[in-house]
Amino acid sequence: MLLREVSYARPSTVEEAVSLLTEHDGARALAGGQTLVNVMKQRAASPDVLVDLADLDELRAISVSGTTLEIGAMATLAAIMRSSEVEVSRPILAATAATVADVQVRNRGTLGGNICVNDPTNHFPPLLVALGASMTIRSAVGERVVTAEEFFVGVFETAVGEGDLLTRISVPAAGKGTGDGMAGVTLGAHGTYVANAAASVVDGTWRIALGCVDAVPHRAAAVESALVGADVDEAAVRSAVEGLGATLDPPADVHASAEYRRSLAETSTVRAVLQAAEKARG
Amino acid sequence: MNVAATPVSEKVVTVTVNGTTYEHEVPARRLLVHFLRDDLGLTGTHIGCDTGSCGACTVHLDGVAVKSCAVLAVQADGGTVTTVEGLGDEELTPLQQSFSDHHALQCGYCTPGMLMSATALLAENPSPTSDEVKVGLQGNICRCTGYWNIVEAVVAAGKGSA
Amino acid sequence: MTAVETEGTTTLQKGAVGQSIPRKEDRRLVQGQGVFFDDVKRHGMGYVHFVRSPYAHARLVSIDVSAALERPGVYGTLTGDEVAILTDPFFQIAAEPGGSVKDYALAVGKVRYVGEPVVAVVAETRELARDASELVEVEYEPFDVVVDAREAVADGAPVLHEECGGNVSYSGVWEWGDVDAAFAQADHVVKISELHFARFNSTPLELDGALVEFNRGTGQWTITTNNQFPGFAVIMMAPAMRVGTDKLRMVTQDIGGGFGNKITSHPQLVALCLLARKLNRPVQWTEWRTDFHQSMSHGNERWFLDTEVAVMADGTMTGFRSRALDDAGAYLRYEPLGGVIWSQVAPGMYGWRNLRLDFTQVMTNKAPCSPNRGYSRMQHLWFTERIIDIVAHELGFDRVELRRKNYVQPEQMPYETPNGCVYDSGDYPRALEAVLELIGYESVEQRRADAASRGKLLGFGIGSTLDSGTNNFGQSQLLNPDLQFSGNNEVATVKLDIFGEIVVTLGTTPQGQGHETTAAQVVADILGCEPDIVHVRAGHDSYWNSHAGFSGTYASQFAVTGLGAVKGAAEDLATQMKTLASMVFQCPIEAIELADGFARIADNHEAALPFMALGAIPNANNAGFPVDPPPMNARYVFRPAFQVPDKEKKFGNLTLTYSMQIHACVVEIDQETGVYEIVDYAAVDDCGLRVNPKIVEGQVMGATAHAIGAAMFEVFAYDEEGNLLTPNFYDYHVPHTLDMPPLKTAAIESPSPFTPLGTKGMGEGGGGGIHCICAAIQDALDASGRAIVTSSYNPYHRVWEMLREPERSRGTVEVISK
Repeated sequence: MLLREVSYARPSTVEEAVSLLTEHDGARALAGGQTLVNVMKQRAASPDVLVDLADLDELRAISVSGTTLEIGAMATLAAIMRSSEVEVSRPILAATAATVADVQVRNRGTLGGNICVNDPTNHFPPLLVALGASMTIRSAVGERVVTAEEFFVGVFETAVGEGDLLTRISVPAAGKGTGDGMAGVTLGAHGTYVANAAASVVDGTWRIALGCVDAVPHRAAAVESALVGADVDEAAVRSAVEGLGATLDPPADVHASAEYRRSLAETSTVRAVLQAAEKARG
Repeated sequence: MNVAATPVSEKVVTVTVNGTTYEHEVPARRLLVHFLRDDLGLTGTHIGCDTGSCGACTVHLDGVAVKSCAVLAVQADGGTVTTVEGLGDEELTPLQQSFSDHHALQCGYCTPGMLMSATALLAENPSPTSDEVKVGLQGNICRCTGYWNIVEAVVAAGKGSA
Repeated sequence: MTAVETEGTTTLQKGAVGQSIPRKEDRRLVQGQGVFFDDVKRHGMGYVHFVRSPYAHARLVSIDVSAALERPGVYGTLTGDEVAILTDPFFQIAAEPGGSVKDYALAVGKVRYVGEPVVAVVAETRELARDASELVEVEYEPFDVVVDAREAVADGAPVLHEECGGNVSYSGVWEWGDVDAAFAQADHVVKISELHFARFNSTPLELDGALVEFNRGTGQWTITTNNQFPGFAVIMMAPAMRVGTDKLRMVTQDIGGGFGNKITSHPQLVALCLLARKLNRPVQWTEWRTDFHQSMSHGNERWFLDTEVAVMADGTMTGFRSRALDDAGAYLRYEPLGGVIWSQVAPGMYGWRNLRLDFTQVMTNKAPCSPNRGYSRMQHLWFTERIIDIVAHELGFDRVELRRKNYVQPEQMPYETPNGCVYDSGDYPRALEAVLELIGYESVEQRRADAASRGKLLGFGIGSTLDSGTNNFGQSQLLNPDLQFSGNNEVATVKLDIFGEIVVTLGTTPQGQGHETTAAQVVADILGCEPDIVHVRAGHDSYWNSHAGFSGTYASQFAVTGLGAVKGAAEDLATQMKTLASMVFQCPIEAIELADGFARIADNHEAALPFMALGAIPNANNAGFPVDPPPMNARYVFRPAFQVPDKEKKFGNLTLTYSMQIHACVVEIDQETGVYEIVDYAAVDDCGLRVNPKIVEGQVMGATAHAIGAAMFEVFAYDEEGNLLTPNFYDYHVPHTLDMPPLKTAAIESPSPFTPLGTKGMGEGGGGGIHCICAAIQDALDASGRAIVTSSYNPYHRVWEMLREPERSRGTVEVISK
């Protein structure tokens, strides 16, 4: 409950933030704090320096640029829920944000924070992989853009390394023929996921990513292939998903055995795909 | 490089709480909830867990409901906080009265957090439905009431309700 | 929505009593002005952090606190070695073998569960105490761990307390009637090989803790805490600390929920007392959520093995026999009382007369148990409800009819059970009708068909339960004949102060049950005034001398013992007031009435003394009376009339009152995932006369919520090494607002003939929700595999398994018919 000693800085520009993160070993970016502060309370991680991004307004911006929805890493989940840009361009992001925990967490928690944690049970990693999002990372030597799959490296590990700062998440805007779905089972309403799947179809091409079953979001490539060109009715989807569980090696824990997770992964995938297919039909 | 960008392990923070501005040196690691309870003596905000799950510590920070156990006191520097002590004065607010009228509290430990969440909800949505109230209070755990009376109390306190 | 029907009369004229008046407690609580122990500060106080064992079972090889002591701001430490010198082991309720357990304020020589406090570190701030605790070096030599009660009881298991010779704390056979004959005559024998009541508790939102001050001049400790049974705490602490009980002043004001889980904090309180004396400063300890889950007050986990039920052709259940295996965790603090307390409801709500329970309690490397809402009766009532549900299921009886037939009938009340307990009053069939109507039973089959059309399995279940209240502590002698405990008591004082204030003190430690309010209602009606002017002091303080050995708030008894004491004191004061008025008016006492805030001549309201006048006379203006004017001050000790039970036959009245609840629910199960939702819920309660119906309903609601959590989400699960896998609210999910079903409630009042007010205690509830959710799940699965629900804890995972492999649970049931 009580944190170890830590030093704290609140930069007023992104450059200052990157500078601090580069200069100090053991520096961590502090976004909404909904995960990091709680992790520090457990003393499971104890950074030496916290770089508070609160004053970096440019990281909060949500805008549409051409056919891309640009979401600043510091956009809170509440802001995403309220954003008309998100509503128009990729509403699944707002619908998913609305199921994360509770109002207080959403008021502080940020999209960037959620994905930088890369907790396998988090909502946004599989969703952003399914949406084909990309992430912009700033460092002392410049800026680079990585795909969502490149971004999620391991459990609690992302492409954001020492001295790096995630600044932006870019999501293709949904055009006609696009449909997104997300389904899963949680520990109580709006609770932690036990299993989930995110599915996205763009003009008949599918991207399906599973959370909770691996260190990083798991692309269900075989299912994606089986769905190409298929008439997406329930029978076809079930047929495409059959056997998915056997290809997975999910963890067992107090909430689910590996076998239960496999089964839930399959069911979640079917439901996410059907949701997406229905949305795509318009 | 501005001063605020130099890492410090203690900081003098300036926080306005319930309308009064305080200047206080705090360790960087001090949680906002401990700052409020132990440094400022505002013990109405409570602690019920250690994972940011229960919401007993809910306050308003810069106008929105937050869990003060998941915020460092230094993060509130320059900010405005409202706690349960700042909701009313001698008289109970209509929401507080509604809680009593509907037996929406038993031990009273979750109640300050519930009131802060409900107040934030009503500010944004003056006449919420039961379902909207449930969403608004999803981050506040109660072990005494089962929530039914709390939801009723907030709905009743909504503008235009009896 | 409440439908009230009152039967019988009470001894009290209803005025304020019976009304849902607003609570006096509310004003301060909604303003955040409650005083919980952690709100209290003392200048110079030290904050305590406990270094806790990371091992479930290990020898304590060495402890080195020197590095911690060197940190600036650290005031001192306390280890088990010191504790073993300064204190004696806590008194054990158990006879041998459990009686040999050595339990101290800190681990001495060994640790026996993960999270057991080993060293206390005290520092200037909370953070420094926490930091310094990381500098304490403790060397452990791990032993093998036992976390399953079935293994703990077997030969060759790791032994937690060598002095006990094994892990059994208590064992005994409880048998009444002629069980063998019942089975010989039975038309059917239903066998259930295994039922398991899971480990969880009520996780009150406020954690344990205390602020302890030591007065060197008087040798007195003042303990500001939230322990909910100070009478018991002091009985445990004083002999261990080798001091008289008056040296331990227990003070509480507001407590953030108890539910029984705040009864066994006495080891930590002793550690704080020793530290306050050693360091000559106040010391304070706040428990954190993880500490609580790992180390405090788990509810009893209980197996029922090899159960057999004797059933006649017409569905009459004539008896059961079973083996109960109870898991008490690593130490016995209130245990093994769980080994007798279940017998308050040995037959459940049913009329069978031939019962046998072979009860064994063992210790395991898990957190010590303590009473948890429904303590030990809930486990047993769940067992009886599983039985009737499974019997109906397997023999093809209608579950409603079978209950109607087997319930103890209203005309049998007061009903003596096979073991001599007396169910005071109640109309179970009428309550069953009421709950069926409330939930719309007649539409269940149609709802089932509708759910099926949506691909869901719908199930309906009933859970009937009792809440026995006001213990006869003589039942402890059935476990240990050498114990000197029996009966029960509670104290209250009422006085009329110099300016006419009515001041009430209680011996109880309320945690939200509204004692200040209900006490005021009772006093108001007796003194003929409004509850508004009755001031009931908040909380508990030994200095008030308003307590006795059993004082506290537990075991569903306040409405009987607490309010019985209040009634007695108020009636005593009323007599004093009338006597004084008769002295003043020089008239017979019978001519005086108390009404409208006056003591007046009934036939002549002009001759009236306001309370202020009465209060002033003995306090400040008492000359000129030929006899002493009564002091306007009354203290009353309520003692329920109990005998010491027959130890050989295990027979006697163990509880004064029996409240009852019948719950019903409808669930819908997603067949693919096992995820289920409670779509409808109703509960009917009968607790005799309700002093404040809204407060009663609140307790029913709270018990329902706890039961939903326990049935669906909450469990204290351990791995093989004794690590708790659900140590905080992240993994131990408790219901939030969005998890709650719609709820309808109704009430019936069957006053108790045995209590001063006709009330019955009712706060615990009896776990009716667990029973009905289990029944509903089993009913739903009837359409897909006919699995049997054998566990009280049914997360989605288990439901999925029951759908996939129904034969696994079906294998636990066998029917042998003539």
